[in-house]
Amino acid sequence: MSPEAKNIEIEPAVRDLRNRTLKKLPGDFSRLVYLASSRDYNTGQYYHDGLAFLFSQNVVSQAMALCHREIFDRLVYASLEELIEELRNYISSTNERPEEFLKSWKHLGSYRVTIPSECDELGAEVFLSNVKMALAILETRQKPASQDEQSA
Amino acid sequence: MRQLLPYFGVATLLLAVLALWARQIFLTHKTRIEIQLPRKREAAAVSTASHDDLGERIFGLEDWDFVSRNTPFEIQKLFLHERAALAISWLRRTRTRISLVMRTHLVAARQTEDLQPANELKLALSYFVFLILCDLLIGCIWLRGPIRTRKTIGQTLRAVAWLRRAIELLMARVDPANCKTLRTSFNHRTVRS
Repeated sequence: MSPEAKNIEIEPAVRDLRNRTLKKLPGDFSRLVYLASSRDYNTGQYYHDGLAFLFSQNVVSQAMALCHREIFDRLVYASLEELIEELRNYISSTNERPEEFLKSWKHLGSYRVTIPSECDELGAEVFLSNVKMALAILETRQKPASQDEQSA
Repeated sequence: MRQLLPYFGVATLLLAVLALWARQIFLTHKTRIEIQLPRKREAAAVSTASHDDLGERIFGLEDWDFVSRNTPFEIQKLFLHERAALAISWLRRTRTRISLVMRTHLVAARQTEDLQPANELKLALSYFVFLILCDLLIGCIWLRGPIRTRKTIGQTLRAVAWLRRAIELLMARVDPANCKTLRTSFNHRTVRS
């Protein structure tokens, strides 16, 4: 099947996914984490119960993979400042304490699993490097804030 | 002793050119399976991220402006270290990619009867210059960092674009099938590095 024909087939599923699920999430980083967590790490297949009612599993998985790559590419080309803002939005949406979140992400490297399985290797390198930088910058900003809290 | 220095310089340069030439000859004798890699990679089509765009992203000044204005010294140091690693990775991949294209071209050129020596020579020379430039740039980035080397990198990006166009033009004449493959792999932004 040609790529064009493939795109026509998954287009309604992509539209549905964008409008009903991804639109509600706060920012691209949240969307990236959501899509990566919908993926079975053993098979690389994506699962979405709501979409599965309307489309075949194969179409659902392809649509989610496409959106995953799109969002990933947007974040690869986002400036460091924008990426920091995205990451901050995501942290505040998780209701976790920022310092614990940053510590965990830095040490566990959790962001590594958010990379789509089929992507440009250099793009993945750029993304990992930028997230590492964004975490380091947020951590330095976090330190004075937590020191203020302690002294108060 | 000082009188000998220019001779040493010329000798070193000649040795470098000879080494590159030898490497090129060695590469052209690789098997056909390796030469056909671009076609295989095309099937693994996926990301919309283009290699050249990523080069611009890596060497862009926007992030450095932000980091140098808003972060402490340690973060700036970390940033320069990270970007240097990315820049070197980009250059190595660019060099590998162009080498692959040249190998494909050499195979195609051997099979053609309508060979144009002037064009071939021009292409070969620019390829050698490109290889030397890539190695020099890797050295510069390693020594001086990606931000200070940025201007030279800009020239390399232009040289890569020129070389790509030259190769495409030549390939269109000698081997239309390979030319189509090259266009796809470079322009449709689908090849995995």
